[in-house]
Amino acid sequence: MSHATGHAHEHHFEPDPALFAEPNVRAGGAARGLSLALIIAGLALGGFVYLQSAGADKPAMRVAMLSYHTGFLASIAFFIGALGFVMILHQTAAGWSAVIRRQFENLMSLAPVGALLFLPTLVLCYTKPGLLWKWMDPAHVAGDVIFQKKQAFLNLPFFTVRALAFFAVWAGFAFALRSLSLRQDADGDRWKTRTMRKISAPGLLLFALATAFAGFDWGMALDFHFFSTMWGVYFFAQSMLATLALGTLTLIVLRSAGRLEGLVRDEHFHDLGKLLFGFTIFWAYISFSQYFLIWYANIPEETSFMMARREHGWLSLSSALVVGKFVIPFLALLPRPNRRSMAVLPLVCVWILGMHLLDLFWVVQPELTKGPDAPGPSLTPVVIAGILSPLCVMLGAFLWRIASVPLVPLQDPRLPQSLTHRNSI
Amino acid sequence: MSAATDATKPAGPARVWGVMGEFAGPTELLHGCLAVREAGWRKWDAYSPFPVHGLELAMGLKPSRVSMIVLLGAMCGAGGGFALQYWTSAVAYPMVVQGKPFGAWEPFTPVTFELGVLLASFGAILGMLTLNVLPRWHHPLFKKERFLKVSDDRFMVALEARDRNWSLEGATRLLKQAGATNIDVVEE
Repeated sequence: MSHATGHAHEHHFEPDPALFAEPNVRAGGAARGLSLALIIAGLALGGFVYLQSAGADKPAMRVAMLSYHTGFLASIAFFIGALGFVMILHQTAAGWSAVIRRQFENLMSLAPVGALLFLPTLVLCYTKPGLLWKWMDPAHVAGDVIFQKKQAFLNLPFFTVRALAFFAVWAGFAFALRSLSLRQDADGDRWKTRTMRKISAPGLLLFALATAFAGFDWGMALDFHFFSTMWGVYFFAQSMLATLALGTLTLIVLRSAGRLEGLVRDEHFHDLGKLLFGFTIFWAYISFSQYFLIWYANIPEETSFMMARREHGWLSLSSALVVGKFVIPFLALLPRPNRRSMAVLPLVCVWILGMHLLDLFWVVQPELTKGPDAPGPSLTPVVIAGILSPLCVMLGAFLWRIASVPLVPLQDPRLPQSLTHRNSI
Repeated sequence: MSAATDATKPAGPARVWGVMGEFAGPTELLHGCLAVREAGWRKWDAYSPFPVHGLELAMGLKPSRVSMIVLLGAMCGAGGGFALQYWTSAVAYPMVVQGKPFGAWEPFTPVTFELGVLLASFGAILGMLTLNVLPRWHHPLFKKERFLKVSDDRFMVALEARDRNWSLEGATRLLKQAGATNIDVVEE
């Protein structure tokens, strides 16, 4: 009954050192090989997109650029969500999470990879202004009254500074927190846990600002007439859901590869399942509220966004998103046994990751097809390669991180609490 | 046969409801429950002044069926809420508001959701009360002065006579083996 009375004995509980033996907390060489393969595949796909569109006309270049941007937003969501999640865990002193935290630390540390992936986009903003964000094209916005009101915010120098600031916040806090956690592996200094908690308080504040404004800049401003004050939260909801799905899937794969035996148990997956369930509802709540207010207010600048996603064949994709990203995961995660099931949970994670891609496709791609005679959604080889290229690089870098460090924090003071953690019925 | 029906006659020997025994702490209670569960008992319960983690596992309780009642309540609430709004604003009394379509689902959603939550909570409360056979006026255990200590500093297990394993000697022996003290017979 040691589990049942875990709370009473928590201070005497000593984890079995055998749990932390090398093979149980190391990913092994296969991860590195897969990592390199993914990064090479991502670069090759990026090269393919570049070769296909470099000499092409402007619409074709825009297709390639928007596709790459879709993949870029889908892949930065992982480290953004992970950083928010880890800082919330530190702030709430979440004892249960000690054994699952390392994989989210690995995810959040990919912010510099995101910055590298943003570099081609930023260069193109200067060399081909207006290709991705139409407000950057002086000819396009000439005489546009709405743009003139927004010009103090929407200008290329400030846009660049903001992008740098976002990556500085994400990468800075992720590096500080992860390196403290890794140093604690070696020295077992309990006070580092307190330091991480202290860092997370201002971290969450700056993280919220950076994430919301990145959403405004990179997603919402694709249509610079459009505005939605909920967009920042919407981007955060997308990111948290994507992170939780990828992190949970990673832990399940590691478990099925014979790692983390006795460390990450059904109880932890149950909690991750609850969080996936919660953020599925949160995403639905935020996206419905956003749509609802736009629908009710009926202001042309706002409705243009939703109209573009109801016409030219986009309505079926919009509906698919409601069913696929809300109804199906909601029903799948509703019964308690499913949230603990090692058969259902990975399927739901893969499904949510697929829906995450569809969601960002739905956000970015219709910007291409606006107008009275615009074509509907289309998946050409360039579009697919453009979306997958940054994703492959990001996932490859994630695998490299997994292979480089122990799979759990080795000397976290909350390990006893996490190892004896149990959900009640 | 009760005293109330015939006050002139002395009451006959009261029927035995079960036996109860005390445990000193939550750990002892958990071990006691494990012993009773392993003996195959079904009609019995444990009593504690505060929630004991893992007690439901030690007792072998199945997951509660309240969740199904909650789901039923949520579906009735959401379905009924949507139907009511649709019928009033698109069928019975269609009225143009802000030029929106009569049967638009968008404005119905918040009320549909709220009614789903409301009836789900009713289902949770009423389902919990029903499955717990509550409210009730009295319980045989309340006749025992010592039983009141379960709201203070004692942990108890009571075995009921309606269990198929019941015999007074067997139940008393089981409680003794399980580590209970102050074992007492409870009458109806």
